[in-house]
Amino acid sequence: MSYSIVHTIKDTPEVKIYGNGKRSCIGTDKEFQEWLRENRDNLPSDIQAEVDAENLIIQEAD
Amino acid sequence: MAFATIGTKGITDAAIATDDIADNAVTSGKIAGGVIPASRPNAQPLIINGDMSISQRSTSVSGITGNGVTTLDRMYNAISGIGTYTVAQESQTSGNAFANGFANAYRLDCTTADASPAAADYLYLQYNFEGQDLQVFKKGTANAEKFTLAFWVKSNKTGTGNIQLKDKDNSNRQCTQSYTISSANTWEHKVCVFGADTTGAFDDDNAKSLNINWWLGSGTDFSSGTANHGVWEAQDNTKVNDGGTLNINDNTANDWSITGVQLEVGEYTSDTLPPFQHESYGDNLQRCQRYYYKKIDPGYFGVGNIDGNNDAQIFVNFPVVLRTNPSAIETSGTASDYIIRTTFNTTCDAVPVFSSSGTSQALTIFKKTNHGITNGSACLGRSNSSSAYLAWSAEL
Repeated sequence: MSYSIVHTIKDTPEVKIYGNGKRSCIGTDKEFQEWLRENRDNLPSDIQAEVDAENLIIQEAD
Repeated sequence: MAFATIGTKGITDAAIATDDIADNAVTSGKIAGGVIPASRPNAQPLIINGDMSISQRSTSVSGITGNGVTTLDRMYNAISGIGTYTVAQESQTSGNAFANGFANAYRLDCTTADASPAAADYLYLQYNFEGQDLQVFKKGTANAEKFTLAFWVKSNKTGTGNIQLKDKDNSNRQCTQSYTISSANTWEHKVCVFGADTTGAFDDDNAKSLNINWWLGSGTDFSSGTANHGVWEAQDNTKVNDGGTLNINDNTANDWSITGVQLEVGEYTSDTLPPFQHESYGDNLQRCQRYYYKKIDPGYFGVGNIDGNNDAQIFVNFPVVLRTNPSAIETSGTASDYIIRTTFNTTCDAVPVFSSSGTSQALTIFKKTNHGITNGSACLGRSNSSSAYLAWSAEL
């Protein structure tokens, strides 16, 4: 299932919450990061924008 | 002088004094397993859920093609490019494992076969340890201990299986050992000894320090080398499934089951192995909840407050301290399974989402667009269906 931004926590800085309809998470979540790596060439536009703005970092697998 | 028989109370109280027995006169082989506790008397088993009784996520999941814990707590399926599987908690009603007190097992069934996996493909069951739970092995010191891994196993296939210990704190140092399934569809008990390692200590923290990997199939990237069984050595992936012939991936008729997994400090044989330390279901569940907590109470998830026009913040306490702060929340996937309760019920129009979490509690957002409830009002997060749940993971 594809992720999108499902919530924004009005903190300083804002925290984006990503969800796929069943689970939601912060950007550093291990399972979300695995999905990012698998789909890095075809990300949804809202998530690609976060990556482009460097608010969301795609981490390499350990 | 040898006695043919010694009658009832033939040796009177205090008749044998310490000096009457020579040093080393009695060896461990003369003492039945379990008479003298292992090196960790009264401790809980090192392997959590080794009896496969806890399955918070689900008792059966089909269509598995990738990595993750899907059914039995703490049991991680490592699968990549090598077919499709069902993983289930298998109830036992007969057989040798059942006769030894194991009512449940981890079972992996091949549902789409891949008889010719690519070189980098893999299939194994993995168990992960925190380093702070492994200090008793004194790894990386002159007093390092051996590891004895015992388990019950059953498969439709006979052949050789490989097990890999992988040290995550020291450049993935590894130690491999093999076992043989001799009879198809028959529970067999295996005892495997891995050497002591005087190189590389486990970190004394809550991070992943050791994998146990039961290899069930792979491409040649993992089998082209020659394993040095029972000896710790530098990482070399080519050796980890050397000589492995189980290949559960090669036919949809294949299955592999395991239960009664125990790890002991030191070297044991099947005759000297300490008995499996059975825990109560409640104790086992609590130990599993350190890594995954699923709240499935049919009534209320927690208390909170209305936050703006669309959200309610719901606070949930965990029953145990989790290993680390969860970074995600899982839900049923159905928005109408969840309700914001004030003096009336407001059914959610999106599933609850993650907000923040510590090791003892979490804040979750229940959502209903334009709910019309006064901002700041107290509220409850509750379920609207027996399918509703919230779950947090702190798995390794």
